[in-house]
Amino acid sequence: MPSIEESLKRLHDAVVAFDEDGTVLAAQDYLDEGHEALEGIMRGLAAGMNTVGQLFKSQEYYVPEVLLCAEAMQAGLRVLTPHLRAGQSESRGKIVLGTIQGDVHDIGKNLVKLMLEIAGFTVYDLGVNVAHQTFVDEAARTGADVVGISAMMTTTMMGMKKVIQILREARPEVRILIGGAPVTAEIVKMFKADGYAQSAADVVDAVERVLARETA
Amino acid sequence: MTPKERFLKRLSGQEADMTPVGCTTAYGVVELMRKCGYERPLADTDPVAMAQLALAGHAVAGFDWIKAMGWDITSVSQALGCSLGEPAIDLQYCIASHPFEQGVDDLECPGDLLSRGRFPAYKEQFRILREVAGNSAVIFGMSEGPFTCAANLVGTTKLLRATMKEPKLVKKTLEVTAEALIKVVNFAFSNGADYFCMADPTSGCDLLNPKAWATFVAPAVKRIVENVSGPVVLHICGNTDKIIPMMCETGIAGISIEEKVDLKQALEAAHSRGVRVFGNVSAKSTLFIGTPEDCYKEAWAALEAGVDFLAPGCGLAPNSPLENILQLRRARDEFFRTA
Repeated sequence: MPSIEESLKRLHDAVVAFDEDGTVLAAQDYLDEGHEALEGIMRGLAAGMNTVGQLFKSQEYYVPEVLLCAEAMQAGLRVLTPHLRAGQSESRGKIVLGTIQGDVHDIGKNLVKLMLEIAGFTVYDLGVNVAHQTFVDEAARTGADVVGISAMMTTTMMGMKKVIQILREARPEVRILIGGAPVTAEIVKMFKADGYAQSAADVVDAVERVLARETA
Repeated sequence: MTPKERFLKRLSGQEADMTPVGCTTAYGVVELMRKCGYERPLADTDPVAMAQLALAGHAVAGFDWIKAMGWDITSVSQALGCSLGEPAIDLQYCIASHPFEQGVDDLECPGDLLSRGRFPAYKEQFRILREVAGNSAVIFGMSEGPFTCAANLVGTTKLLRATMKEPKLVKKTLEVTAEALIKVVNFAFSNGADYFCMADPTSGCDLLNPKAWATFVAPAVKRIVENVSGPVVLHICGNTDKIIPMMCETGIAGISIEEKVDLKQALEAAHSRGVRVFGNVSAKSTLFIGTPEDCYKEAWAALEAGVDFLAPGCGLAPNSPLENILQLRRARDEFFRTA
């Protein structure tokens, strides 16, 4: 029988190779070998997706590859998740996510959602072209810890500033992250957001940073 | 030398007395609208308002050349069936539906393409622009490029995924969008455009693998360029270092690049292939939120580096201060006064 490290590596590598069938087989074998589902998810599938994030950042992978890796990972999750023990799927926090009004770009936002879900956060995805007030309403309804706003165009990103203003008034306790191609550190400062992630690969770090600041 | 002579000489690689300054992307700037009295969204559909705002770029913002065909890159997708979101003075049209998400079997380029959507208004706008400024300034048409249009029709995620899993779907969709673009670009030339700018942001390296650019996008751009009757400029946002050499081998006359690109390398790659470079003052961190001094400095640096056309690196944000935009012209004029 292969060692657990070998089995975890097999899960990791199948995700990185965007091999959906291979990931499912690796996940089934992993369970048959008697290993813990949670460890397989975190140190196998999620670790694989983190490697994918790094490959994306270094431009060895592009969005199409990442999408296929995500599909492989999700196929693996469908095998492993039913075998989690009670309490193991507890959420690390609630995040409301959406693309700003007038902007229909959702690839970056969807990658961010994926990385956050793998890391154990509960994500409420509002989709694209989201009205400003909807961010505030959804943050209230879900009791969100973090609101993430995406804009892909210089022409739409001013809307993020408006959302931040009304969100600060209505829910001062909520941390706000912004993201998207036109967002820079200067924009974060100018819009008075709490932070941003340069790419989907960095978003979990960014969320952890703003949440730590909140409780510190 | 009139701005028109200067521009056309530079574009064809001949000597010009100075570098033309302008914007080869959208300049639907709110302050410009207030100055000329013609605001979007009226200026998105009404030919007179559209023409007046376009002319304000020339008369007020100091641009050497004039943009026709609206303030967004959705017109071809709209004519092929996409519905659009509600625009506002500071909000461009966006794509609201992907009509071929379920399959492209029924996708074809309609015979009446140019009587659909905003093309009739564009035709009238061209007539007005020609009449007012056609002798003195260059007029250009603009739309989305073939890959961006394809992504609008079938959905970006689906199209990107298909580049790896369903290449036939990508090829079929691009065949139709290229055919539509050939019609649209020739429409612009037959109505008085001096050049045409295709913006293909969805094909940029932020999304698409450069290898897939070579496989899918390059042949589509080549086909368009070979079948139209005037020079084409290709604008792609983001860091395009890895695809610039390929862009320059499609037969286009110019590339439009932003600040994330390695400018020196881009100039070498373009010039060695007889291609001109538009760019690359940051539309976001400089022209939008920078100070006038920042804008002046960045424009000066682009001139010093040797851009062929001084321009913003991307579409101007609607709330960009006019004072910032005016620094492009100021920098160009002073650069050549001291040169």
